[in-house]
Amino acid sequence: MTDEYKIEEGLYYTKEHEWAKKLGDGNVAVGVDDYAQSQLHEIVYVELPEMDAEVAQGEALGAVESVKAVSDMYAPVGGKVVEVNEELLDSPELINDDPYGEGWIAKIEPSGLEADLAKLMDAEKYKAFLATL
Amino acid sequence: MELKKTHIYSYHAEHGNIVDFGGYAMPVWYDGIKVEHKAVRDGCGVFDTSHMGRMWAEGPDTEKFLNYVVTNNVSKLEPYGGLYSVMCKPDGGIVDDLITYKFTPERFLVVYNAGNRDKDYKWLKKNSKDFDVKLTDVSDEVAMIAVQGPKAVETLQKITEEKLGEVGRFNIAEITVSGYKVLAARTGYTGEDGFEVFVLDCPLDKPEKALKIWGDLVEAGAVPCGLGARDSLRLEAGLWLYGNDMDESVNPIEAGLRWTVKLKKPGYFIGRRAIQKVREEGVKRRLVGLMMEDRGIPRHGYEVLNAEEQVIGEVTSGGLSPTLGVGIALAYVPPEYRKLGTEVYIKIRSRLAKGKVVKHRPFYDEAVYGWKRDKK
Repeated sequence: MTDEYKIEEGLYYTKEHEWAKKLGDGNVAVGVDDYAQSQLHEIVYVELPEMDAEVAQGEALGAVESVKAVSDMYAPVGGKVVEVNEELLDSPELINDDPYGEGWIAKIEPSGLEADLAKLMDAEKYKAFLATL
Repeated sequence: MELKKTHIYSYHAEHGNIVDFGGYAMPVWYDGIKVEHKAVRDGCGVFDTSHMGRMWAEGPDTEKFLNYVVTNNVSKLEPYGGLYSVMCKPDGGIVDDLITYKFTPERFLVVYNAGNRDKDYKWLKKNSKDFDVKLTDVSDEVAMIAVQGPKAVETLQKITEEKLGEVGRFNIAEITVSGYKVLAARTGYTGEDGFEVFVLDCPLDKPEKALKIWGDLVEAGAVPCGLGARDSLRLEAGLWLYGNDMDESVNPIEAGLRWTVKLKKPGYFIGRRAIQKVREEGVKRRLVGLMMEDRGIPRHGYEVLNAEEQVIGEVTSGGLSPTLGVGIALAYVPPEYRKLGTEVYIKIRSRLAKGKVVKHRPFYDEAVYGWKRDKK
């Protein structure tokens, strides 16, 4: 079951199937993972977070929608939204095609990164978590 | 509880993504909702609709009985004609919507919603006491397959002996498909041309006839479509879904189904007095179509607000229209907001997205899509 989904090493994962990735400039890229995109199937709409919004870890950040379903997206780490992926406005399917790459949703300038990351799962733990679903 | 399975289940299990739909194991999609939706708007799709309810009503009083329980006038039907209608409770609340097909004044086929199979049968049975009519639920003995799209007729024709072009809209015919005698009605739930095929004498434990017809249709070029596309197609066509856009708390006038209510037909029918009263006093809410102008997809249960940001109603069906590329919805609002072009807002999560009231039956341009489209 777990082998069905691509889980990228070096990323941090939530139980709600978001991922967070530390970038070289100190910011954190966030998105939804392969499991989430595959459950939704054809993604037709992305509600991007608002620029400059301050979010706490676990707070609503946006949403990803298929024809039939809506999946709310929660901030995997707290901080300030400094960039959103506007490509997704016209091409929401990028999340299906490349959830950890071109399908990134936002970049966050973290406010308490290490404490937040400590609450997330690494690839190995996440894989074990998916196996329980 | 174990899910009920239809005649075509073995195909769904192999090729589709199965979900629990009102207790039935049904495919929500095979390859994807968008591609299946497009297949029906541009070509031909095939749906398993065997989960729906099907019943024979037979006997000397059949026509009189049906006119007593439904709001439309079945006496207007010629033999082999079909009629869309609703049936109501005495207070006007809608029990279900249904299609009745007349073969003779003493023999009708009645087709109703999957989720209401038990309820409808009990309701009809209970109200048939004073009539000489026999009701036989044949849902498990008759499979039902819908072939829909601008190329539906030519696709079904490939495996049919008789000339399908001669069957008029909403009419039903006895034809031979894949070598089997079936009934085929020129109806559907997508807005497109096509047929709903009733595979007779096809019990659940001997589904070979239905599977053969299904397989032949797929081989002839029909794209298998799941319930996801069925829902997005019916929403674009502006068609009501029982349980969302109408239920027992809504009367046909509020639901925009005035055209199915024949108050002047002879004799009493259940709900007549209540509906007459609503007609005289007016309604407090009315079903309308909404189209988004801002980005965002309206969904079932979202609040509808006016320009002053007061909540005026609720979305009952909503989604992205794959054909139009915008969010569309059916919603109940007070009648003063019914006027086409009225500005409304939908509360999507924490923000308000702008939309307007539009014609909803259908949402798309009928010259371009749907069964009335310009034939080149």
